[in-house]
Amino acid sequence: MNDPVLTVTGLCKRFPLGRKRFVNAVNHVDLAIAPGETLGMVGESGSGKSTLGRVILRLLEPTEGRILFDGQDITHLPKGRVRPLRRNMQMVFQDPWSALNPRMRIRDLIGEPVRLHMDMARSERDDRTELLARRVNLSTEFLNRTPSNLSGGQLQRVCIARAIATDPKLIVLDEPTSSLDLSVRAGILELLAEIREETKAAMLFISHDLGTVRMISDRIAVLYLGEIVEQGRAEALFETPAHPYTQALLSAHLPSDPAIPVARHVLEGEVPSPIALPAGCKFHTRCPVAIERCRRDVPAALTVPSGQQARCLRIPEGGNILERKEPA
Amino acid sequence: MSDATRTEIATDTQQGWSTRARNRFIGVFRLSPTAAIGLLIILFFAVLALFSSWIMPHDPVAAYTDRVLQPPSAEHWFGTDGNGMDVFSRVIYGAKFGFGIAIPAVLLSLVIGVPVGLIAGYRGGLLDEVLMRFFDGLRVFPSIILALAVVAATGQSLLNVILVLGFLDSPVFARVVRAEVLALRSSNFVESAVAAGNPTWRILFVHLLPNAIQGAMAQTAVRAAWAVRISATLAFLGVGIQAPTPEWGAMIRQGAEFMISGQWWVALYPGLALIFLVFGLNLLGDGFRDLMDPRHRSGS
Repeated sequence: MNDPVLTVTGLCKRFPLGRKRFVNAVNHVDLAIAPGETLGMVGESGSGKSTLGRVILRLLEPTEGRILFDGQDITHLPKGRVRPLRRNMQMVFQDPWSALNPRMRIRDLIGEPVRLHMDMARSERDDRTELLARRVNLSTEFLNRTPSNLSGGQLQRVCIARAIATDPKLIVLDEPTSSLDLSVRAGILELLAEIREETKAAMLFISHDLGTVRMISDRIAVLYLGEIVEQGRAEALFETPAHPYTQALLSAHLPSDPAIPVARHVLEGEVPSPIALPAGCKFHTRCPVAIERCRRDVPAALTVPSGQQARCLRIPEGGNILERKEPA
Repeated sequence: MSDATRTEIATDTQQGWSTRARNRFIGVFRLSPTAAIGLLIILFFAVLALFSSWIMPHDPVAAYTDRVLQPPSAEHWFGTDGNGMDVFSRVIYGAKFGFGIAIPAVLLSLVIGVPVGLIAGYRGGLLDEVLMRFFDGLRVFPSIILALAVVAATGQSLLNVILVLGFLDSPVFARVVRAEVLALRSSNFVESAVAAGNPTWRILFVHLLPNAIQGAMAQTAVRAAWAVRISATLAFLGVGIQAPTPEWGAMIRQGAEFMISGQWWVALYPGLALIFLVFGLNLLGDGFRDLMDPRHRSGS
């Protein structure tokens, strides 16, 4: 077994909000990604998934915890020493329209990471830029244009080309398809899957869309209020979700086959504010199977028979399983 | 139909540069008549400054001691001054000082102000506070008084006037650029540039600068007008450039004493030249602002 590319332990990110008040965006997250592995990170908007991705790449400063990248503790590494490491950890952003400098040519945008991290002559760099453009199925005729001349899908291909330009060991993808048209999405996902096979880069794929995550991930982590409530192999998590929140999320997701009967568990209430986190289990305010104990005790991560880990107090007694309501 | 189009294209490619320049100018004129008129006035003075040695009928510092304080005539269009020098030639030569001070002073302001605005806006925090408070402090003093004091203290030379004006006006550009950077700082492309591994200097000058510079560029004409005005004022007050150098402010100072005795032409013509150049630069500045900001765009 290879050593993980990324190991995160007890990671917290709090944004100060005036006097003694904080937005608890990420709370005690533990995760690890092995080389070539794709971890899907699922959560509702506001669950802290984008913040988590940014803290891992040191685009935001971690408040607590430890980030081990490629065997090196980068948690408190000075910015100047993180910069050379960025060759090996790149990111793809959600909105390709705003993620590219509008005044740069596509050629310079794709060539930028190469210029920054690889010692190459200009002609070599140009060759590599063209190679990268072709790799992401972008016609080289776009290379001399500026971002405003490209469509969303083409721009996201440019962003992906940038991210893979230096053969990084880890790529964080922050909802790379959610702002794109449905018709374009499949092409981008296919491209990402191909790239994963070719480059063996580890990926952290952040999305709110379960279907997308299932297509590309080896393992999945479910985030609720900045905390990983369930984490495990993709099939196990989809087949036998252990945490009530995961079960509710899955039931809200329509299966590809309309013949499959859907059991709906509609969660009631709003996601609590990350400024004043609920005591005990953070999910108890919306949990259909919550009992008195859930208001007080903080659940630890437990390994369930199907292999994944979940944070639910009711697992030992089997009370975590939501009733399968048959649709009328 | 297709034949007509073809001939049109043919003539289009055969057009000389003068025709293209004229079409270009008409284009600018349509977009902003203000800017176009300002540009014409500035071009007029630029021609005077560049070709002064061909246009001037007399040496601007040759004193015809037998023709002191003569009124305008066929020989001396704008008359002669107290030293018997030709006012017309001196006014034309004076355009050199207008541009010779304004252009380097504005360039210096940009060179100082733009990087300060970039760093202050991007870094924020204490550095931003310190830099901006310092620049605010500069602007608290009336600029003429500060310029007077500094030029008087550092020595009376053209170079000193340029350096002082350039430095004193740099906060204007710093403010404009800083405001743009504040808006851009949290934008996705800047974060994506950081994530790609750009060092800070590249974030500032490759990514932020091209996206934050337009506001500052739109200010250049107005600031050039300011530099022309202040440098003339300094010369009028006897600081910086000294008579008999044919600088407009110095000439107005010289001519002021003859106003009472009725020799109005010595001060009037350099005064008019000054007014027109400042007016032209301000018009261009207004035009820039109109072109930049769609809310100011008149009609459409």
